[in-house]
Amino acid sequence: MAHAESAAAPAILSEVKPAELPRATLVENHRSFSWITDKICGIIEGKTPGWWWVCFALACFVASWTVAGITYLVATGVGVWGHANPVNWAWDIVNFVFWIGIGHAGTLISAILCLLRQKWRTSINRAAEAMTIFAVVCAGIFPVFHVGRVWFAWYLFPIPNANEIWQNFRSPLEWDVFAVSTYGTVSVLFWYVGLIPDLAILRDRFFKAGNKVRSFLYGLFAMGWRGANRHWSNYEMAYLVLAGISTPLVLSVHTIVSFDFAVSLLPGWHTTIFPPYFVAGAIFSGFGMVLTLMLPLRAVFKLEDLITQYHIDCMCKITLATGTIVGYAYGMEFFIAWYGANPNEGFAFINRAFGHYAWAYWIMISCNVITPQFFWFKAVRNNTAVVWVLSIFVNVGMWFERFVIIVTSLARDFLPSSWGYYSPSIVEIFTFFGTFGVFSVLFLLFIRFLPIMPMAEIKGVMPQADPHAGHDHH
Amino acid sequence: MKRKVNHPAPSSRELSGPRYWRSLDELVDTPGFQEQLAREFPDDAANLNGVDRRHFFKLMAASFALGGMGLATGCRRPESNIRPYGKSVEGVIPGLPQYFATSFPLRGSALPLLAETHEGRPTKLEGNPTYANYGGASSLLAQASVLELYDPERATAHTIDGRTVTPVAVQDKLASIYEAAAASNGAGLAILAESSSSPSRARLVAELKRKLPQAIWAEYDAVADEAPVAAAQASFGRRVKPVYHFEKAKRVVALDADFLSAEAGSLGYARDFAKGRKVLKAGDPMNRLYAVESTFTLTGSMADHRLRLASSYLKAFAAALYIKLTGDNQAEPLVGDLDFKDRDAWLEACAQDLRDHEGECLVVAGAHQPATVHAIAYAINAFLGNFGKTVEFVELPANPATSLSALATAAAAGQVSTLVVLGGNPAYNAPADLDFAAIAGAAGEVVRYSYYVDETSVLAGTQIAATHYLESWGDARTTDGTVVPVQPMILPLFDGFTELEVVARLAGLETTDPYSITFDTITRMAGGVAEDVFRKFLHDGLLDGSAYRPVTVRFDRNGAAGLFAGFEDWPVLSATNLEVRFTFDHKVDDGRFANNGWLQECPDPITKISWDNAILVSPVLGKQLGIEPGGSLIQVARKELAEYPQGKENAVIGELTVNGVTVRGPMHIQPGLADWTVVLPLGYGRTVSGHVGEGTGFDAYPARMSSAPHFVTGATLVATDDRYLLANTQEHWSMEGRDIVREANKEEYDETPNYVDIHTIESHAPANLGKDKDMALGLAASTTPRGQSLYETPDFDGVHQWGMSIDLNTCIGCNACVIACQAENNIPIVGKDQVLRGREMHWIRLDRYYSDGKIDAAAFGGEGNKEIPSDPQASIMPVACMQCELAPCETVCPVNATVHDDEGLNVMAYNRCIGTRYCANNCPYKVRRFNFFDWNDRSLDQLYLGPVGDKGMPELAQMAKNPEVTVRMRGVMEKCTYCVQRIQNAKIAQKVKARDSDNVVVPDGTIKTACQQVCPVSAIEFGNIKDPASAVSLAKAREQDYALLGYLNIRPRTTYLGKLRNPNPAMPDYGALPLSRVEYDSKNHPGGHGEGHGDAHGGHGDAHADEHAAPAQGEDHSHEEAESHEPAGHTSIMKHALRTGGLS
Repeated sequence: MAHAESAAAPAILSEVKPAELPRATLVENHRSFSWITDKICGIIEGKTPGWWWVCFALACFVASWTVAGITYLVATGVGVWGHANPVNWAWDIVNFVFWIGIGHAGTLISAILCLLRQKWRTSINRAAEAMTIFAVVCAGIFPVFHVGRVWFAWYLFPIPNANEIWQNFRSPLEWDVFAVSTYGTVSVLFWYVGLIPDLAILRDRFFKAGNKVRSFLYGLFAMGWRGANRHWSNYEMAYLVLAGISTPLVLSVHTIVSFDFAVSLLPGWHTTIFPPYFVAGAIFSGFGMVLTLMLPLRAVFKLEDLITQYHIDCMCKITLATGTIVGYAYGMEFFIAWYGANPNEGFAFINRAFGHYAWAYWIMISCNVITPQFFWFKAVRNNTAVVWVLSIFVNVGMWFERFVIIVTSLARDFLPSSWGYYSPSIVEIFTFFGTFGVFSVLFLLFIRFLPIMPMAEIKGVMPQADPHAGHDHH
Repeated sequence: MKRKVNHPAPSSRELSGPRYWRSLDELVDTPGFQEQLAREFPDDAANLNGVDRRHFFKLMAASFALGGMGLATGCRRPESNIRPYGKSVEGVIPGLPQYFATSFPLRGSALPLLAETHEGRPTKLEGNPTYANYGGASSLLAQASVLELYDPERATAHTIDGRTVTPVAVQDKLASIYEAAAASNGAGLAILAESSSSPSRARLVAELKRKLPQAIWAEYDAVADEAPVAAAQASFGRRVKPVYHFEKAKRVVALDADFLSAEAGSLGYARDFAKGRKVLKAGDPMNRLYAVESTFTLTGSMADHRLRLASSYLKAFAAALYIKLTGDNQAEPLVGDLDFKDRDAWLEACAQDLRDHEGECLVVAGAHQPATVHAIAYAINAFLGNFGKTVEFVELPANPATSLSALATAAAAGQVSTLVVLGGNPAYNAPADLDFAAIAGAAGEVVRYSYYVDETSVLAGTQIAATHYLESWGDARTTDGTVVPVQPMILPLFDGFTELEVVARLAGLETTDPYSITFDTITRMAGGVAEDVFRKFLHDGLLDGSAYRPVTVRFDRNGAAGLFAGFEDWPVLSATNLEVRFTFDHKVDDGRFANNGWLQECPDPITKISWDNAILVSPVLGKQLGIEPGGSLIQVARKELAEYPQGKENAVIGELTVNGVTVRGPMHIQPGLADWTVVLPLGYGRTVSGHVGEGTGFDAYPARMSSAPHFVTGATLVATDDRYLLANTQEHWSMEGRDIVREANKEEYDETPNYVDIHTIESHAPANLGKDKDMALGLAASTTPRGQSLYETPDFDGVHQWGMSIDLNTCIGCNACVIACQAENNIPIVGKDQVLRGREMHWIRLDRYYSDGKIDAAAFGGEGNKEIPSDPQASIMPVACMQCELAPCETVCPVNATVHDDEGLNVMAYNRCIGTRYCANNCPYKVRRFNFFDWNDRSLDQLYLGPVGDKGMPELAQMAKNPEVTVRMRGVMEKCTYCVQRIQNAKIAQKVKARDSDNVVVPDGTIKTACQQVCPVSAIEFGNIKDPASAVSLAKAREQDYALLGYLNIRPRTTYLGKLRNPNPAMPDYGALPLSRVEYDSKNHPGGHGEGHGDAHGGHGDAHADEHAAPAQGEDHSHEEAESHEPAGHTSIMKHALRTGGLS
């Protein structure tokens, strides 16, 4: 801008003096490299804190609900859930979409922000990627176990077998199979590749500390990383390639998940707006979840120097942007329903807002449209506690969004004779809440045994890493 | 394909022919073999676990040898004639079903049937088409009766004082009763039976009366139809009953008469009525039905004019109509204070309509109405010259039976020492004031013969287990008197006795074998060569020319004068003086079918409640009682009848006090009831039944007195704080102004026969057919379509293209198709708890919508209507899988478990299904059914126990299954297949017949789907739409043909023929449009027609401004420029193609 202006009006300014935009400080308090290594490795090397054990036990207990719920389900039948005609999908698919959506923030942070050279991603991307993987694990539980005969779920995969029946490649559920499995695989690879240099650091530190076993294990997964130039060069290239592969996945996975609905002919599902709206919603919910996880982590491990207010600001702004997109989509759905002049479609949306499930709809609107608007205010963004609470609302709201879309559309479709009302069974409720346990167990293990931040990458964005540090930035 | 094969009766040659034996033991007739024979039906077979497999096979084998049964006179058991199945039975091809004629006796009539048997095991019953009156149709009850044969909870053992005894002991017992009675000329012996039409039983009863003249033979039925006969006796001086000919009646007035579903003979009446109802093309005549009724019956739902009137006022109404017609003012006192909206105009217009159709009209009264109403109806019919035309009278045989009240008197006087109760269940269903328990107590000994151990059995010392009619020899008469056989399909599964044998033994007769008794009765009745006559009787399933003799009668006003007495005390009905109307349930009847799971789970055709009865209250009364459900604050749809604690109807329990008795039951608001009439359906609240029947509903019999068994005034009803969950399968009652059931009045139809295309969402949508829209039917169905789609759609290149047409104009909603489908396709029941959750499995359902001409849309701005309608029109629509050509279920199944075949069937590969349920979500008709549990393999009260619960289907229940249809396991989706097993059988048979020729096309009419076969009104046509001359193609070529949700471009193969109503323009309640259409128009064209979418309609937008101008009730209706209607979009591929020339 400044360049353009000065070129257009040389008579006014005799000299081009671009404004100096201050670069955000990504690591506060001028910390050194070794401080970072000690800080992050210290979490793993130190004694397991008492709270960790408490949380872990609690998480295991909660996770057991899912295990018990699924066991009962498989042993008895899908009837133990609240599904019935006409609502044949309910919490199962709601939870699936919810968890899959959460994963998106991780991929967005690690892949898209990487390609866009957003340096602030470094201190949060490891945990966000872990979150992605664990969310995919939780998400995967539901589509697998919601089917009536889970022991035949392998029919979904194009495995050569005696039946010689192909899958139906027209079915969005089949697309889901490929989309989600690709997504899971790429996410794991991406995460793992990023971990390699840090695993090597841990290997060396444990070796020095004389802990042969852990040194061996970390070494095993570090795959002989020596920090050589060629290693770094290959590593950077691999990382970039994976970022490239992951980028379309951020968009494709939730697009395909949205096809589960958009491709059907049900009023309320059959809408072309779904793909972008689902992707925006996924990123929105993902950032909500990242905030929900990172803020306590930051407090507990005293990581304020690494996860700075600037990071929180950035995440809040993305949340605000995507949340507003989602709100726009809600409005646009109504507009199209009216403009399309299809009475069944029109009814579906009015019914959402004012019918028997209006309570769910207005929870969704409050959480997803109103909540993020608070992030316009710097005072709100600066108040970590408020941000954390709001991020919880975002999570709740996005769960309800999927509930509203799936259940209200099914409950009242074309023929009023088959209209119904769905309520979940206790088994469903416990199975869902249990997945938070599953997620927590995995996340707790992650923060205990793996570096929660990519040390090498953080160091790379520190002033010390800049050969021109302290000099003119040109 | 159907073969009727009678049991080969043994010829004399056979009797003297070579002797077959099972073993050398049998040949030499060792004592060991005799014992083995006796043990073939051992005592322990008679336990609740059912027969075990070995015994079943023995029984099966034995049943093939039934032909030899007539040999052993005096011995019921056919042991001596059993032949090994090793020698094949004549006509049996293993794997192919056989059909035998029999009949389903119910009270004083019977329904002729063909029973389908598989290796000697009856699985499915179909109407016997030889009996022309019913044309092969049958009823819901007949369809479900086969299930009772295999009910593990039927009475399986004979007991005396609680001890299980052998059949021989029972025979001794009966002999000793006879001997004791014979000593006193019969004094002290009383027999209480159900009414029966069996000529053999009548003969035995006469014998019994002759040998034991002082014995009391009483008959009692909760469902009584004496009033028509009593009125006829008074009016004509003869014991006659009316037989109506609805096919000849152009105008019908039903006086509280549900002649389409509840009256005796309603099956034939429905069939006849439909003949006058069916309209094939514009200008065809159509009958008109006026129904005056207190409850909402199926007849009322078909009515063109329906007047809600308390049953107590029907007498006054009939008299008022009578006076309007005849001017006979002497009847004036009968009219009382009768008043209703537009009374005089209503009566005058109705009377004029009848006058205009003298000799072509009919006034019928419900059997529960008193004789006066019947006498007035006879008088009107006589006046209008209907006798001998639309109504005939037939002579009834005398019935020597006395009544239950006479028996009660005798018992109270100590004149009954031994009481034998044959069938029925008087302890449960006798009028409360007669106190059957006291009658039984007064008798020294009570002997009970019944099919179930029930409330009456509890009072009896001796319990004799009855056989099912499919295990019995006997005979019966249909409503018109035609004698039909009751022929066993299988040997008694348990050691039951037939009623004929019990009566014969009570009468001390020598011949007690029911086969011989029936043989004698029939051959004596018919004359001729006995063997041949009987063989033909069994083969045809009826005895030609045995119907009751029609007689000519003249109405005798003086004879009936006694009936023409006025009201002593005009009942003023109000919320504090309610009328109670006792009705018999559509499904469990008077309670006798309470343990039949199919019937219990079948939703009531009007209320849609399954597994329970309910106190039905009108919306007005419901409001007064404060039980009206709350609507949402902002109205989105019409108010629900159900509230949602668990998903379904959470009914308030009410306490109804009448006759000094209080009964408690859940209250259900029923639109269309007379405001102050409360309906108490009988037949529920059984206390001694089986697992299925116990604990369903409440028992209303205690409030029913012999003085007024059908309706009574003076009741009060209060709401309690208690709630009860009703399993209502249809929560929402309104069509919401959608074009689901497309209706028109006859006048509009005559001018605009394609009204179904115009008043619909498709008329606003782009054409679905694309370049194929002018293609001939056969081509359109078998070439690759269409509709501008990118997808390669299936190649429909099979030699047949299956399709179905359902005529909404004749469908009466009787539910017979639902049960026929259940029997044919092994559809499980799921129990009340699961129905409450919305998991019923019926492949075909009947949607019932009410319309009152108002919709919710106005609630968003303007006059809203949040009421439950008091006086709606009902529209009924059968919905099953439509076999869409572009099936939305198929595209979304990830594993290809539901796919199309080349003949246009949407087929399910159960083995491939993993149960994602996506198909069910994407089915716009919601006709797919998911096996949420192992319904077949788990007991319904243990579904949630999972692997901990019992596993396995009882052997007896397995026997009821159709071997040609897979029994589905849990986790699998299922749905209607157009009875693909019947299609395949027919195709195989045709291929066999075709041999090397190419003639593999199954002739039209060969295949009947189960729902089509059973339908009394022939509303369903099924067949090959590739053949332009097939019945289904012709039906689809009619202009009323439309595809439900056709605008989705899914091209359903099942299409509907629009409904018509034929209201009388002279009537005060005349509406130019049916109320559902008023709703459609006001929802979709709120400001009149010209607004917004004139372009889409081309030229006809303005022409129809007035017609679309919303509620046209009472308005004049004009149809100028009807010909300018050119629908912009068509829905049914078939239709358009056929209309443009058929298969080229």
